[in-house]
Amino acid sequence: MGYVCGTVSGDPMMTRGEYRAVVRAELAVAQILAASAAGESLYPRLLAAIGESLGWDFGAWWEASDESGTLVCVETWRSGSLQDGDFDTLTRRTALALGVGLPGRVWATGAPAWIPDLREDPNFPRGAAAALAGLRSGFAFPVQSARIALGAIEMFCSRVHEPDEELLETMAILGSQLGQLIERGRAEREVRESNERRRAILEAALDCVITIDERGRVVEFNPAAERTFGYRSDEAIGTEMAELIVPPALRGRHRAGLSRLLATGEHRIIDRRLELTGMRSDGCEFPVELTVTRIDLPGPPLFTGYVRDITERKRAEAELRASRARIVDAGDEARRRLERDLHDGAQARLVNLGLALRLARAKLEQPREAGPLLDEAIEELAQTTSELREFARGIHPAVLTEGGLAPALRALAARSRVPVQLGELPQFRVPSSVEATVYFLVAEALTNATRYSGADRVEINIDAAHQRVRVEVRDDGRGGADPAVGSGLRGLADRVAALDGSFEVLSPTGVGTTLRAVIPSG
Amino acid sequence: MSRRVLIVDDNPGFRRLARRLLEDDGFEVVGAVGDASQALLATGELAPEVILLDVNLPDASGFALAARIARERPGVAVLLTSTHSHQDFDELAVSSGALGFLPKDDLSGAEVERLLR
Repeated sequence: MGYVCGTVSGDPMMTRGEYRAVVRAELAVAQILAASAAGESLYPRLLAAIGESLGWDFGAWWEASDESGTLVCVETWRSGSLQDGDFDTLTRRTALALGVGLPGRVWATGAPAWIPDLREDPNFPRGAAAALAGLRSGFAFPVQSARIALGAIEMFCSRVHEPDEELLETMAILGSQLGQLIERGRAEREVRESNERRRAILEAALDCVITIDERGRVVEFNPAAERTFGYRSDEAIGTEMAELIVPPALRGRHRAGLSRLLATGEHRIIDRRLELTGMRSDGCEFPVELTVTRIDLPGPPLFTGYVRDITERKRAEAELRASRARIVDAGDEARRRLERDLHDGAQARLVNLGLALRLARAKLEQPREAGPLLDEAIEELAQTTSELREFARGIHPAVLTEGGLAPALRALAARSRVPVQLGELPQFRVPSSVEATVYFLVAEALTNATRYSGADRVEINIDAAHQRVRVEVRDDGRGGADPAVGSGLRGLADRVAALDGSFEVLSPTGVGTTLRAVIPSG
Repeated sequence: MSRRVLIVDDNPGFRRLARRLLEDDGFEVVGAVGDASQALLATGELAPEVILLDVNLPDASGFALAARIARERPGVAVLLTSTHSHQDFDELAVSSGALGFLPKDDLSGAEVERLLR
């Protein structure tokens, strides 16, 4: 190395060797900066470039830590001739307050500093370790942008060097270049990270996020939009959104609305939640919920739409409305049936009974005629009583009200024309709405087994535990029951659904029918 | 001369008792049938003067049948009947073209005569 030690501060004449060393350092730094790849840490190479060019022995890079308000060492370098590692280790572990030590004073003043003899400097806490390592002189310069002090770089030499103002000045310029570079890098990284975060949010969003420019062309189309509308984002971007996802009948309104918004600022859609119709790539239309926001950035306006496919929600709402209507209809139908059964049954019998008694009354003088009429009346009365009993039970069985599911289901099983195998029954009461639903489910299943399925045997199992009742009725009949046909199973499904339960009908042809429900009872 | 009556009701017990009651009260019951199609046939063949017609028939509404008979055979008096009351069905019965409505539990020869007057 051609560096000559002992140059006196302020010497107007730099030696040739010194000049070459400074130029080498600048060139080396410039080359590193030019060839650096994004994201790569330049600190070790920059420290080495400066140290090797100057022929010095140890360098450290200090950065201001926002959290602790101190300078911390983030990188060190040492020449091959410096054997001692303790000073390196100590430096790496050291944190310096503002004004403390060589880097601390540079950080405080914003100006470079030189210590000709480390042993004699009163403000150098690492002095003892430096002495053991054989280091004698040091200088440091701030790494700073016009806006902020980012830290400092220090260099040490094992020979005594008098302060070199020329070198310090050059290093100070280098420090401010590095400072600007680092600040720009940080700003770029922040923008990049912010963009990456935004991208990640868009990618992960379940809602479609579609941004259009002022001409109505798509500039952003996230994966949810790709899945929902059936276009890849590279197909969508650049295309007019109206052509892509607005049904033809609504495009005119969409374009007129966008023009009016751009011309007058008037709008009917920004920052409101709307329900509209969207169109997939196959032309199929579907309901969407849309919120549009205007993005406040310099430049031509951008609008972002958040679109959610609400087909499933609409379907569920429609099903809920239909189910409510069916429950009301079923109630009306049940009342109509009650009226008809009463009218055709007990009421008709009582009328006949009245007529028979009136005829008998007219024939009191002719016992031969009156007797059979009275017998007829007695028979009619017995039939009426029996019919009324059945009728009342059909409305709501008294045994269920009084005794709960166990005696009510035993009575149901006992009356069944198809033999019933009844499993264990709950010995405690559950809410009456649940009891009634279970009872009518079993009653419906037994009626179906008797009337339609030609079953030889029905099995009933009830399990009431964990705040729910599970009921299963299985017959060995011909199967093929369709819940969509006939009001009985449909009505049961609605009834179970109204109690937040689940209901299923398994009825493979030739195997039998199983009705199963699980109803919350907590 | 006694009036010729046709009874139309799907309840066999009522048909039998109504026939006896009206016959006891001096009517000639020319027939008793259980549905609307038989009622139309019997009306043609048996030429009743009065038809005692239940409002609920298995194959038709008694009101519709009353309207048809009133249109096709204006000379025949139709009396609609059911277990319901006057308040329920008087208006519907008259507007259908029947002569009137007779609750089943009020059935008697005298009541039929009163409506026919």
